[in-house]
Amino acid sequence: MAQRLLDAPAAPRLVGFDLSVPRSLDGRLRFHRVDLTEPTADSMLAEILDKERCDAVLHAAFFTDPRPQQECAHELEVIGSLNVMNAAAAAGVRKLVVTSTAQVYGPQPDNPNFLTESHPLRAPPRAHAIRDRAEMEGLLGVFAGRHPEISVTSLRPCWVMGPNYASSVTRHFESARVTTLLGFDPLMQFLHEEDLLDAVELALERDVPGPINLAGDGVLPLSTLIRLAGKRTWPWPHPLLYRLGYLPAVGRTGDPPEAFYDYLRFLWVVDTDRAKRELGFRPDYTTKEAWMSFVVSRRLRRYR
Amino acid sequence: MNETVTGAENGGLSREQLTELRESLAELRTEIETRFSVRRDGRESGRVRPDLLSRGLRAGLDKLGVSGAYSGLRRMLSAYSTDQRSLEVDEFGLDPFYLERARVLLDFLYDRWWRVKVAGAENLPAEGRVLFVANRSGVLPYDGLMIAHAVERSHPSHQRPRFLAADWIGTLPFSQPLLARLGGVRACPENAERLLRGGHWVVTFPEGQKGALKPFRERYRLQRFARGGFVSLALRLDATIVPVGVVGAEEVHPVLFHPTLPRRLLGFPLPVTPTFPLAGPLGLVPLPSQWRIRFGQPLRADDLMRGRANDALYVNQVRDEIRNTIQSLLEEEVHRRSSVFRS
Repeated sequence: MAQRLLDAPAAPRLVGFDLSVPRSLDGRLRFHRVDLTEPTADSMLAEILDKERCDAVLHAAFFTDPRPQQECAHELEVIGSLNVMNAAAAAGVRKLVVTSTAQVYGPQPDNPNFLTESHPLRAPPRAHAIRDRAEMEGLLGVFAGRHPEISVTSLRPCWVMGPNYASSVTRHFESARVTTLLGFDPLMQFLHEEDLLDAVELALERDVPGPINLAGDGVLPLSTLIRLAGKRTWPWPHPLLYRLGYLPAVGRTGDPPEAFYDYLRFLWVVDTDRAKRELGFRPDYTTKEAWMSFVVSRRLRRYR
Repeated sequence: MNETVTGAENGGLSREQLTELRESLAELRTEIETRFSVRRDGRESGRVRPDLLSRGLRAGLDKLGVSGAYSGLRRMLSAYSTDQRSLEVDEFGLDPFYLERARVLLDFLYDRWWRVKVAGAENLPAEGRVLFVANRSGVLPYDGLMIAHAVERSHPSHQRPRFLAADWIGTLPFSQPLLARLGGVRACPENAERLLRGGHWVVTFPEGQKGALKPFRERYRLQRFARGGFVSLALRLDATIVPVGVVGAEEVHPVLFHPTLPRRLLGFPLPVTPTFPLAGPLGLVPLPSQWRIRFGQPLRADDLMRGRANDALYVNQVRDEIRNTIQSLLEEEVHRRSSVFRS
């Protein structure tokens, strides 16, 4: 997805990596097939990076959704990222941009209303996908400390919404009756998919080392968002949902249901001050607009 | 592939369309405002002018009292369930429309139920950053709501301060969204700092839970002021500290004792009051004690040594001074009050 955006400015030479060759491949993109989970991936990647004289690496090889195969996911998210870091260091890359997520802060009842980048990462302990990402962030911090010559940026976007973006989160909000937790109505933030790509582009252009939170402007309570979308809620008492939802949730993602539903229960709104000040990030879509663009696109899709 | 094509193809909006849409929406809004002469500047002022219905209700409340509060309560509950609230909230979740609806109930509690008397309103600073420091009492955060109400009514600018509330509120269903819409914010230094920087006035209770859950026999005896974080915050941000003594809130839910077992099982405190577990949900009705809210002499940041925000000993010294001030405010007001319940 980021490749599409990077094609537009037509400035740098692009090198793409993936597990499989994408169906549509732009001629300007030089493509290499790399499996990050292979033991030799780091040296292989370093070789290619060196040969292509790469300047910056954008590492976005993560699963969008939690996978039931926890070991496989861990292998890619943590070990694979480690391979990318090692390869980047060996090839003398100047910059590394990693797409993480704001979910690593974790939804906690004692979160401050706006989480800054310095807040500790307190992901729900049994949510393996988020835990892996948090572990990766830890490794990234160590890596950045060890290689001061490389500018290491990790982007932490909140939930992404938009006409094209699909994840387990958007699937949850697609249904006409959205499951919510009875009596909980946290303030939510969304980021539009195009704003995310803008931010990635900015992060590649400018040197802003360290983690950066990304979100659209404004916050809205979950219930207001659902009402704006013309949907209805399906409020469940949380102890019941956490028990009943256990089996389907484990079957689908390998995580207990609270790994997802806690994000609809407690506050995890991020402070985007740093992105605005240092990265110069100006989201085109507010939270409400990102949400509405998601809702409108899904509604039209039904009539095509 | 460019973004315009993607947007149109998938039913989303491209950037040009978005700006167009925004402009036409702004036009529409001004049109509505001029034609129906309604202004709802929730974002700027945090206040909505009461509509006719609520004004009528308030007139009814003056005559009927309890029935007005009943309808207020019903309106508040219906607002909660049927989503009759504004589509914009401020960044801490305050919903101006919702607050306006709840005002009927808050006014009733303030005027009729607790008959709040305010003293020392002349001590309120005219402007600038203000941090109210008050004694915490009465299990549920009624005191924060009433202080906010008192300041809003007695200050010429009608600014409504935000109050900080305990953590465990957030783990309970219903209470957290309710409190957020009425202007409550979880108590932590980050939130207080952001609120003050954002131009809000803040009410803080340095006693914390220890104050809210202390047994009845220790009423009006201030507990420890934990870390004095509010002092260093005020020093850093140049905020004026206003000590506040609240008398009456301690009798709202007199805590007989506070067992630890339910707390460990449930994760939130469950104190025993004369009415609470015994009378069931009715026990949640606060007792109609008589309240006095007294604002003490403000402590301006100029009077303090600003550079010493990181000097723990100095901060603790100021903290204890403020604690003593509030304690003496409380003692004076308790003596001044002739009866707990009768006015």
